[in-house]
Amino acid sequence: MSSNPPRWADRFLEWYCHPDLLEDLQGDLYEVYQKRRTENGKRAADLTYVWLVIRSLRISAIGKSKRLKNSIFMMTANNFKIAFRVLARDKVNTAINLVGLTIGIACFLLMGLYVKQELSFDQFHSKKDRIYRSWLKEDYGEGKIFFNSITPLRFRDLFEQNFPEVESAAQLVIENHLVGRGEGRLDERIAVLSPNFFQVFDFEIMKGNKEAPFPGLRSIIVSESYARKYFGDEEAMGKTMSLQIGESIEDFTVSAIMADIPHESSIQFDIAISTENNRQLYGQGSMNAWFSIIPENYVLLKEGASVESVDAKMQDVVMGYLSEEVERGQYNIGLQPLTDIHLNPDVPAGYAPVSNPQYVYILGAIGLLVLIIACINYATLSIGQSLRRAREVGMRKVLGAGQSTLVVQYLSESLLLALIAMTVGTVLTILLVPTFNALTGTQIFFTFKWWHLLAYLGVGLAIGVAAGIYPAFVLSGFRIVSILRGGSQGGGRHVARKGMLVFQFLVTVFLISTTLIMRKQVSFMQEKDLGFTYKSVVSVRLQPDPAAQRLTQVIASGMENGKLLKAALQKHPDVTDIGMATHMFGSNGWTQLAYTDDKNVFRRFAFLNVDANYLKSFGIKVKEGRDFEEGNGLDERQSIIINQAAADYFGLENPIGDKLPGKEFGEHRIIGVTDNFNFTSLHSQVEPLVIAENAMPILQGISDFNVEDSPVPKLVFTYTGSNLAEVQDILGKEWEAIFPNEALDFSFVDEKIQQQYENEARLNKLITVATILSIVIAILGLLGLMVLVVNSRIKEIGIRKVMGATPITIFALLSKSFISQLLVAIVLSVPLTLWLISKWLANFAYRTEIGVGLFVVSGMTALLVAALVIVYHTLRASRINPVESLRVE
Amino acid sequence: MKRESLGELEELVLLTVGSLAGQAYAVTILEEIAEQAGRKPDVTAIHSVLRRLEAKGFVTSSMGGATADRGGRRKRFFTLTVAGRKVIDETMLVRMGLYKKLLTILGS
Repeated sequence: MSSNPPRWADRFLEWYCHPDLLEDLQGDLYEVYQKRRTENGKRAADLTYVWLVIRSLRISAIGKSKRLKNSIFMMTANNFKIAFRVLARDKVNTAINLVGLTIGIACFLLMGLYVKQELSFDQFHSKKDRIYRSWLKEDYGEGKIFFNSITPLRFRDLFEQNFPEVESAAQLVIENHLVGRGEGRLDERIAVLSPNFFQVFDFEIMKGNKEAPFPGLRSIIVSESYARKYFGDEEAMGKTMSLQIGESIEDFTVSAIMADIPHESSIQFDIAISTENNRQLYGQGSMNAWFSIIPENYVLLKEGASVESVDAKMQDVVMGYLSEEVERGQYNIGLQPLTDIHLNPDVPAGYAPVSNPQYVYILGAIGLLVLIIACINYATLSIGQSLRRAREVGMRKVLGAGQSTLVVQYLSESLLLALIAMTVGTVLTILLVPTFNALTGTQIFFTFKWWHLLAYLGVGLAIGVAAGIYPAFVLSGFRIVSILRGGSQGGGRHVARKGMLVFQFLVTVFLISTTLIMRKQVSFMQEKDLGFTYKSVVSVRLQPDPAAQRLTQVIASGMENGKLLKAALQKHPDVTDIGMATHMFGSNGWTQLAYTDDKNVFRRFAFLNVDANYLKSFGIKVKEGRDFEEGNGLDERQSIIINQAAADYFGLENPIGDKLPGKEFGEHRIIGVTDNFNFTSLHSQVEPLVIAENAMPILQGISDFNVEDSPVPKLVFTYTGSNLAEVQDILGKEWEAIFPNEALDFSFVDEKIQQQYENEARLNKLITVATILSIVIAILGLLGLMVLVVNSRIKEIGIRKVMGATPITIFALLSKSFISQLLVAIVLSVPLTLWLISKWLANFAYRTEIGVGLFVVSGMTALLVAALVIVYHTLRASRINPVESLRVE
Repeated sequence: MKRESLGELEELVLLTVGSLAGQAYAVTILEEIAEQAGRKPDVTAIHSVLRRLEAKGFVTSSMGGATADRGGRRKRFFTLTVAGRKVIDETMLVRMGLYKKLLTILGS
């Protein structure tokens, strides 16, 4: 029996150990390893081996290994002592370097935390590799595809009964219900969970039975923070809460308390009840429906089972049930890994929003870029310093220092600096996290784990080496004779230095342009004329009758109740344009209806149920035909208005008086055509839309419908008063009088519309932060370089002043090389920015233009910054009395 | 002649090298010391002592055979040199002298 100790430890030993000593030492270590292994097992033996390898370092020191002498391990306390003195001697430079590196590190860490968090979504479940979420894609040809990760209720049984690979299937619905304790009731997001949910996922049950968290039909689970919200400091277990289920209000008993769900979870809820309530919630019909989607279905595969074998059988299983309804390939089911959910935009979002992975990459890259700039900054400055340190290098070389000794010395300096910067940067990051979150609307956390210390050292070392390696070699490579003779160093190095400066400015200009264009796109979306007015428009969610079950009943009873509120609000002079509709601007997921027309073409369109006042309240123009009329009985029964997109889609050339093509609709007539207005977010084009006061004639003809956002009617009105707090007051009072037991739920439409672009706005803020930081670093770098340039030319400037040079000539003298480098950077940044930004803009159906002005502005900004730094130094340099600068030597 | 001084562990190792009669390499020395003196220094300690002894000229070494559990690497066998032998003798003489004195004072 023979087994090997850790390979890396061996490599390490072979690397540092003197070849004469290696063989027998290593042999002995092996022998000891084998003995220890038979006695104490592999783990103990491995540990011993590593320990012995480290201990062996002292033997090598005796053996006078040549390699060791020059290696990094000779960076003794002495090196650091010298490094410390060097850093302390040149305080300005050290400060500049330190601030630059610290900012770079802080930026890197902040972006890193964000990226890490995005990547760690749903990773905390112990069975995550076996958990999949099902999706359903109905494809009826001609691009008519329904693709959802919300699936039918019956999928749970489907998976458990037909696939031996599936260990269990869990189900989750998240929807709003009124929840209360005592009198008041609040609209809360409630999860409806299958009882096995907590066995599939690792959400922690703190009190109660994890195996059977719902002992009965009327059991309810609350999270810790909600237990506190509803019960305060009282013990929540066993207490009752009321919940509106279907038409009745039921008492539920708290049967378990769950730990709050971590932020990095796609599945988020605070209150949960059991799927045993499904029948009452969704009706018998939906229990076995194939075309009505309600929950997210998750499957847990058995250990070792492959998802491919499940996939392979899907179509056959489906056809076993549905061969009469659909053709092969029309009804497709698939599985998506749990850990894929958060960052995969190809599968539609379920109950949790999906992040755009692009943003994660962009921000990760920017964090890294800023760090790289900071490192380059250090390198440029160190090389810039070379003139000053040339003599020191010369002296050391004369005294017998080899190049490697000097490299080690300079690396010690950068390492020391990097470690200090790392420490300060980490502390800064921890302090900045709350500000950063508040500023950018992100939610990142700084958690400490023991391996962070190692990572911390590792990153510190890496930064130190990255920043210091190039200057170390340049500095140590100076030839003695030329230094001591006082000559300048070869031109090649200036090229490298210039290259780095150009790169630094390139990134800065790139970031400035990116920030500007993103800001432009975000404000473009927020300010684009959407085809309706929405400033100061308030939307109030109405109360349908609890008994209402069918969609039409929900809408009709909601609007009926809405009339009461409308009448009440009309008394207030500041409230105008009151209307009602099933969907509100600023939310996606409007009701989608679909049918197959008489030519066998599959048709899909958005549908909005309104009252006669609605289009007027939003200022939506009817460009052909007319708007609905109040009190017109025909309008109330059968008139419809379509948008221009619908007219084009259905191919109606003279739409007024016409019908939607297809014979199965109820009696209806098109009375008007509106302009296209952007009723959903600007990420997508305007879809065909049908608007009616009465949904019945249209609903009769459709074969399929899809409602993501609740179609419970909302009342909208424009508030013309100036004080927005008053509107809340008015609404509250009127609501209280009409619906004393129901919670008021209202929002401002413009806020909702802005919220659609939250992601973009957040990204923009993050990049702005990075841009500002990179500009600061760039300024620091330029500042440092200028100090050196001015100092090295101080005599020249002195002589020029004596000869009569003005500050302007001195400015020209100092700025000449920098400005040309900056111009190169600006020119180079244009194609880079264009390429990346157009990729990003492709995400939007409506996008702003990338103008030349953008590059002019960002270029000018960078130039201005550079010019300011140079002016500052010009003034400083020209104020020095030539007598002072020329007296030396 | 200037006397080389021996550390305590050095002395022990030197004695063990002598007593192992040509079979002395780090691991056997380690085991012998463990068995005879009940101490268990780690193998790197033995190594560094051996290097020091070699530098002082008390032992010489030559490379010997390899075994499988050494991953095919050869052993370095140590033998006493004349100087080594001498230093042991001298140390022993000093100790014996002192020990005898002790016995005469305390009685046996």
